[in-house]
Amino acid sequence: MVPAEWYLILAAAVFCIGVFGLLTRQNALLFLMSVELMLNAANINLAAFSYYWGNVTGQTFGLFVMALAAAEVAVGIGIILVLYRNFSAVDVTDATTMRW
Amino acid sequence: MVVYPDWAALAPALALAVTGLVLLLIDSVDPDDSRPGLLAGTAVVGTLVSLGYAGWFLASGTGQVDGGTGAISLYRDALVVDGMALFFQAVFAVVTALVCIASYDYLKERAYQAEFYSLVMFAATGMAVMATANSLATAFIALELASLPSYALVAFLKHNRGSVEASLKYFLIGALSSAVFAFGISLVYAATGSLLLADVASALSALDGGLTGVAAIGVLMVAGGFAFKTASVPFHFWAPEAYEGAPAPISAFLSSASKAAGFAVLFRVFTTAFPLDAAGVDWMLLFQVLAVVTMTLGNFAAATQETVKRMLAYSSIGHAGYALIGLAAWSGGAPGSVENGAVLGASMAHLLVYGFMNTGAFLFVALAEQWDVGRTFEDYAGLGSRAPMASVAMTVFMFSLAGVPPFGGFFSKLFLFAGAVDAGFWWLAAVGVVNSTLSLYYYSRVVKALWVDDPVGEFELGGTPTGLYVAVVFAAVGTLLLLPGFAPVIETAQSVAAALVP
Repeated sequence: MVPAEWYLILAAAVFCIGVFGLLTRQNALLFLMSVELMLNAANINLAAFSYYWGNVTGQTFGLFVMALAAAEVAVGIGIILVLYRNFSAVDVTDATTMRW
Repeated sequence: MVVYPDWAALAPALALAVTGLVLLLIDSVDPDDSRPGLLAGTAVVGTLVSLGYAGWFLASGTGQVDGGTGAISLYRDALVVDGMALFFQAVFAVVTALVCIASYDYLKERAYQAEFYSLVMFAATGMAVMATANSLATAFIALELASLPSYALVAFLKHNRGSVEASLKYFLIGALSSAVFAFGISLVYAATGSLLLADVASALSALDGGLTGVAAIGVLMVAGGFAFKTASVPFHFWAPEAYEGAPAPISAFLSSASKAAGFAVLFRVFTTAFPLDAAGVDWMLLFQVLAVVTMTLGNFAAATQETVKRMLAYSSIGHAGYALIGLAAWSGGAPGSVENGAVLGASMAHLLVYGFMNTGAFLFVALAEQWDVGRTFEDYAGLGSRAPMASVAMTVFMFSLAGVPPFGGFFSKLFLFAGAVDAGFWWLAAVGVVNSTLSLYYYSRVVKALWVDDPVGEFELGGTPTGLYVAVVFAAVGTLLLLPGFAPVIETAQSVAAALVP
């Protein structure tokens, strides 16, 4: 059996890839994908440790996280759509009418 | 005597959810927004019902320790209704009611009014559930329920570039922080094998070496998720943008209700689930640093702003710093001792007062936007003689936010700083006092513009928006009434906070 620590390392790696993508990409859609990666890193942990602890709490919560990720993308795509209509681009660095 | 089922204790949250659904129903029957009064009226009635339930439960002792039923656990402890939950639900209901009254005028001639009100209701439902969340799972889902409608509401003016940009930034940072939050929860679950706050606490206390580091990183990441919701450093970047670009009633809603909701769940999770000596990380030190940095950064940035709305946004970050003192000075002393609740309760009372004065201030900005007078301090010059009633109200808000003596904000800050001193953190109180003094500078700039400065050019105010006026004046009356009424508020807050501490 694969030791539990390996799952932690895998999840941390996936999470870091997500963070890296989020910091380096300017396309809003790629930003959304990076966030998906980070949420799925959480799901890896939840599923692996659900097995480790022998209860289904983690797996159940994993399902909730997936559903929420989908809902978040739905709202996010809507916002990116109005962004495109107003700025004619989906580049997150274009929208700078206000100061950061 | 009628015996109510346990789930009836969720009435304040249920009332908001049902109102949201009723609004959608009205919209499907009458889709062309021809009755704005009906929509606004339904929303206001729904929030008042929610407020009524929360007030009634608080008064009758539901879920409270003193002369009540004790905390009511629902759905296998996933939710808990206690005094703190009801206190915060009352705050959310008040703010939501004010926002709905004000939105009636703000939304005139705009499409999608029913969607606006129902999104506000669903976000408020999420906040009400956040206050009752007793498991990391419900905390996460309620937080998202409050966040997702907020993103859409910020982008409500979809042909306005500022509004869309604000929403994008709010959404990007929100999505990032919810991913961090979810990963933190997964690490806490990895270390403890449970998501229920009480079980997490006992598992952390029994933790053996290996997983302590995992738990500590998890706790830090969970704190990050809450920092986003409360607009504290390091996830505060969205706040000035979102508050400036959003429709002003939504800015009021986000900066008052949404922030209070973040604090509600932050207080419960950290006091219940992460015992100081076993969490693997000294989170009190973390919040002390965050409190100092947040209030200093918020106040200094606010002092350099040119537009009133952005100044209020930074001042809102500053106030998040004050409220963080409640957790930063939480001593975790002997079980059940009174001192433990004192500073936490003062922080909750401050959030209630803040709910009135900050909502009122943003609604005054909404009024100014309605009149089209401009955004900077100079543009507000001479409003005092043209709109005396609203300007008096704004003056009350400004002095109350600054914490000048005869207003509600003074007492809540006094109790907060006194509580910090009692808990042995005099330096936190000192930083708070210095920041409050600084804040008087930029708050009084607004007052000076309103009453002293001469207007640059001649301008006429377009009409008198009744709803906005009513909301602004009501918020001012609330701020003033909290002066004689502060004793019961602080007593309630401190007793429910003491009940929270194990």
